[in-house]
Amino acid sequence: MVVGDVATGTELAIVGAGSGGYVAAIRAGQLGLDVTLIEEDAIGGVCLNYGCIPSKALISATDVAHEAGDAEEMGVYADPEVQMDEMKTWKDGVVDQLTGGVENLCEANGVNVVEGRAEFVDENTLRVAHGGEGQGSESYEFEHAIVATGSRPIEVPGFEFDGETVLSSRDVLDLETIPDSVVVVGAGYIGMELSTVLAKLGTDVQVVEMLDDVLPGYESDLVRPVKRRAADLGIEFSFGEAAAGWAETDDGIVVTTETEEGEESTYEAEKAIVAVGRTPVTDTLNLEAIGLEPNDDGFLETDHEARTDVDHVFAIGDVAGEPMLAHKASAEGAVAAEVIAGEPSALDHQAIPAAVFTDPEIGTVGMTEAEAEDAGFEPAVGKFRFGANGRALTTGHPDGFVRIVADEDSGFVLGAQVVGPDASELIAELGLAVEMGATLEDVARTIHTHPTLSESVMEAAEHALGHAIHTLNR
Amino acid sequence: MPREFKLPDVGEGVAEGEIVSWLVEVGDPVSEDQPVAEVETDKAVVEVPSPVNGTVQELHYEAGTMVEVGEVIVTFALEGEDVAAAPAPTDDSDGKAAEAPADADAAETADAETAVESAPDTGGRTFAPPSVRTLARELDVDIGAVSGTGPSGRVTESDVRAAADGETVGEATEEKPAAEPAAEPGTTAETPPSSEPAADRDRTLAAPATRGVAKDLDVDIDQVPAVERRDGEAFVTADAVREYAEGQQAAQAADVATVAAGETGPREERIPYKGVRKTIGDKMEESKYTAPHVTHHDTVDVTELVAMRERLKPHAEAQDVRLTYMPFVMKAVVAALKEFPELNSSLDEEAGEVVRKHYYNIGVAVATEAGLMVPVVDDVDAKSVLEIAEEVNRLAEEARERTIALEDLQGSTFSITNFGAIGGEYATPIINYPEVGILGLGAIEERPVAEDGDVVARQTLPLSLSIDHRIVDGADAAAFTNDVMGYLETPSLLLLK
Ligand SMILES: Cc1cc2nc3c(=O)[nH]c(=O)nc-3n(C[C@H](O)[C@H](O)[C@H](O)COP(=O)(O)OP(=O)(O)OC[C@H]3O[C@@H](n4cnc5c(N)ncnc54)[C@H](O)[C@@H]3O)c2cc1C
Repeated sequence: MVVGDVATGTELAIVGAGSGGYVAAIRAGQLGLDVTLIEEDAIGGVCLNYGCIPSKALISATDVAHEAGDAEEMGVYADPEVQMDEMKTWKDGVVDQLTGGVENLCEANGVNVVEGRAEFVDENTLRVAHGGEGQGSESYEFEHAIVATGSRPIEVPGFEFDGETVLSSRDVLDLETIPDSVVVVGAGYIGMELSTVLAKLGTDVQVVEMLDDVLPGYESDLVRPVKRRAADLGIEFSFGEAAAGWAETDDGIVVTTETEEGEESTYEAEKAIVAVGRTPVTDTLNLEAIGLEPNDDGFLETDHEARTDVDHVFAIGDVAGEPMLAHKASAEGAVAAEVIAGEPSALDHQAIPAAVFTDPEIGTVGMTEAEAEDAGFEPAVGKFRFGANGRALTTGHPDGFVRIVADEDSGFVLGAQVVGPDASELIAELGLAVEMGATLEDVARTIHTHPTLSESVMEAAEHALGHAIHTLNR
Repeated sequence: MPREFKLPDVGEGVAEGEIVSWLVEVGDPVSEDQPVAEVETDKAVVEVPSPVNGTVQELHYEAGTMVEVGEVIVTFALEGEDVAAAPAPTDDSDGKAAEAPADADAAETADAETAVESAPDTGGRTFAPPSVRTLARELDVDIGAVSGTGPSGRVTESDVRAAADGETVGEATEEKPAAEPAAEPGTTAETPPSSEPAADRDRTLAAPATRGVAKDLDVDIDQVPAVERRDGEAFVTADAVREYAEGQQAAQAADVATVAAGETGPREERIPYKGVRKTIGDKMEESKYTAPHVTHHDTVDVTELVAMRERLKPHAEAQDVRLTYMPFVMKAVVAALKEFPELNSSLDEEAGEVVRKHYYNIGVAVATEAGLMVPVVDDVDAKSVLEIAEEVNRLAEEARERTIALEDLQGSTFSITNFGAIGGEYATPIINYPEVGILGLGAIEERPVAEDGDVVARQTLPLSLSIDHRIVDGADAAAFTNDVMGYLETPSLLLLK
C-alpha cells in the first residue's frame, strides 16, 4: 500500500457524474445509502456540460435570432445581430446553474462527491487519482459500485480533434466566433443539430455522410421535413461519401471524401466538424481488475436490474448500451440505486422516447408500424398533419405530423412518431400512453387544450379509430 | 394503391342513404359492377355496385348507418394488392428502422431489449402501468402470467394483488365486503354483480374508455359497483360496467318474464322510424294535413268485367302476361280523367296555380316489405291493356325486390291503391300529394245486389275516391266516380277510348 493511501469505506461507489451517475447517487442518498460519487472532469457529465444542455441552449438562442430575422410573413421585420461570445457566456451560465444545482442536490442528499479519475484495484477497491502530477490519490473500499463512465466521440482516422480546425461537438458548443464555412462529417442527430445551428448563424454548411440519408434509423417520412428545412437553410448534403483526409489551405482546410467506388471529392471550408457517433468509455478505470470486459460493441452488458456479470457491480448510461441518451441513463441510474438499496426495482419500461432537436424536431417512442407488425401485432395507424392544426399554423412552421401506432384488436398504443414543432415535448404524452397501456380511445377521449399542438395527438388517435374531425379518415 | 369507394349519387336529389346491408365481407373478392351494398334512400332501396375488380379491404360503416353521398364506404384492394396491408397513410414505413445501423444515434434498440424482459410469449406483451409493474415486483408476482381485467385486458393493481394472494385472477380482492360469508370456492366469483346493490355514488373514477363503454351500454357509471379504490375514490373498470349491464339486463328480462309469464319476447320493442317508412309517414302527414280530404264511396257492378278478364286471360298468358283488373281500372280512370281534368291536376301553392296535366301517368300503390311504394306507369292513355298489365307487373315486382329505379317512382298525375287485394270494402285513401285524387279499390266479390226488386248475386267492386277538396268538389268527385263506374260496368266502352 502506498504511503498515505488510506482506504475509505463506502457502501456505494459511483464512477462518473453524468446523467446516469448523479441520478443514481442522489437516489441512493435518498434511500439512505452512504454514497461516494467520483468524477474526473465536470459534474453533470457530457449531457449537462458538453451535450444536451449546451446544444439546446444554442439551438434556442439561434432560433430566436433566426426566427426574428425570418418572420416577415408575420409582419415582423428585424435584423438580429448575434454576438457569439455573449451567446456562449449565456449558455455557460445555464450550464453552471444546472451543474451547480446538481452539486447542491448531491450534497443535500449526503452524497460524497470526489474529484479525480477512478480505477479498480480489486473487486472491492477503487483508487482515485487526483488531477495533475503529484496531486496524490485515495482509495475507497466499496460494497457496491456503479460504472457510469459514459461515452466519448468517435474519431475518424486522420481527423484527430485539435479544437482549432477539426472540431468535436464539444468544441463547436464552445465556439466564440461564427465560422464562415464548415464541413460537417456525419448526418446523425448530433451532426444535424449542429449543422442547423450553424446554418442559422449564417455559416455555409456542407454535410458529408457515408450512408445515403440523414438521421439513419428514423423512418424516411419523419426525416423528409427535416431535410427539406435544412436545404432551405442552405445546408448542402453529399451522401455516400466517407471523409478520407484533410489538408490545410491558405484560408482554411480542404476535406477529401471517397465513395465506395474510390471516387474522390473535395470540399473547402474554414473548419471541419466530425460527429460520426459516440463510443462507450471502458478504458479509463481498469475494468480488468474486476474481470469485466466489454462486449463486441464496446458496451458493458447488464441485466434488467442494471447488474453486470460481477454481482455487486452495476453499469448504467451510455456505457451500458443503446440508446445512448441522457434520460435512459437517468432511468437506469435510479433503478440501479434502488436495487442496491434493496428496493423492488427493474428496467421494465415499455419504450424509451427519443428526440432530435433539428428544425423541425423529431420525437419517437415505442414501435413503428413495421416494428409492430414484426412483433406480431396488427397495427392500426393514425396520422395527423400539423398543417391542419390551428396552433401549428400560428407557429409559422406547420410542417410535419403526429403518427400513432396501436394494436388494432385491443387499441393499445404501441408507439408514436412525431415530426414538427415541439415534437420533443409532444412525444411525452405518447410515452405515457405506451407506458400506461392506454388505448387509442383513452387518448382520443382525453380532452386536450385548444388551441395547442397536443390536439394533434388526440386527432391522430381519432384518425386511427376512423373518426378524426379535422382530417379525412383512413 | 387501395381504391376508396365513395357512396355514389344514387339518384336525383338524394343526399344520403342508409346502408341496409352489406352484400360482401372484408376479404371477399369482387368484380366490377358486382353489388356490394344495399342502400336505402328516402325513395327506394338501391344496390350499389363495385367500381373495380379487387378485394374488399375495409367496410367503413356498419349496416344501419346513414351515410352521406360522397363519403367513403368501402376500401378495395385492387387486383394484385395485399389485402392485409392496412391502408396506412404512409407508404414508406418499410421496416427501415429495424435495420438501424450501429451508429450511436439510433434509439430503436431499446424496444428490442425491453421486449425480451417483459412478456416474451406472444407478440402481445403485458400491458400494465409502471406502478402496477412495481407492485408486481414488490409482491413477487410474474406480471406476464397475470391475466388482466382492465380495459382490453390491461393488468390492474387488483389483478396483481389477486395473483399474489393466489386467488383466481379477476376476482376482486380489496373491495370484497368483509362480512361476505366464506362460501365454497368459486361461488363468490360466480355471483352475478347485479345482486350487489347498485352503488349510487356522486363521483366515480374510470378511464375514458370505460366511460365510453358505460355510455354505449347505457349504464350510469355511478351505479356500477366499484372494483377498487384509488385515492379514496371508487374506481370502476370497463369489465365491471359490462358485468353490471349484463346483470341489469338479466334482471329486466326476469321482470318481464314474471309479468308476462309464457311470453317470450320483450313487451315493447323500439324500432327506428326512418328510411322508406319515415318517408311514407312524412308524405302521408303532409298530404293529410295539407289537403282537406273528402272520400266518396260507391260500388260498381263488375260482373261483365270479371267475365271479360276471364276470356282475355288465356290470350294474355299466351303472351306471358298475367292479367289483373288493374289495367282495366287504369284505362277507365284515364278515360274519366279526360272528362274531369281537374282531377288530373296538382296545386302549385307557391305560384298560386292549379297545374292541369295533359298527360296521364298513373301511380299504383304497391305494398312491399319496406312499406308502401308507388311505381308509376307513364302515358297510360297511349298504352294497350296488355302493355299496361306487363308494365304494372314489372314495376310491382321491382318495387318488392327493391330494385326499382327512382324515375319509376316519380311523376304520377293520379294514383290508384288496391287495398282490396287483401280483402275489405271501403277505406280512406290518402292522396299522393300534391296530386288531387286517389282511387281506392276494395275487393271484387260476389255481393247481394237488388235488381228490379230482387236480390241477386253480382260481382261488385267497392270504390273509395279521396279528393283534395280545395281543388275538387264533392259533386265532381261523384261525377268522376260515376264515369269510372260506367267504364267498369260496361268495359267494352273502353274500346272506344
Ligand atoms: C452534442 C451532444 C448532444 C446530445 N444531445 C442529447 C439530447 O438532446 N438528449 C439526450 O438524451 N442525450 C443527448 N446526448 C447524449 C447524452 O449526453 C448522453 O447520453 C448522456 O450524457 C449519458 O450519460 P452518462 O451518465 O451515461 O455518461 P456521461 O454524461 O458521458 O458521463 C460520464 C462521466 O463519467 C466521467 N468519467 C469517465 N471515466 C471516468 C473515470 N475513470 N473516473 C472518473 N470519472 C470518469 C466523465 O468525465 C463523464 O463526466 C447528447 C450528446 C452530445 C455529445
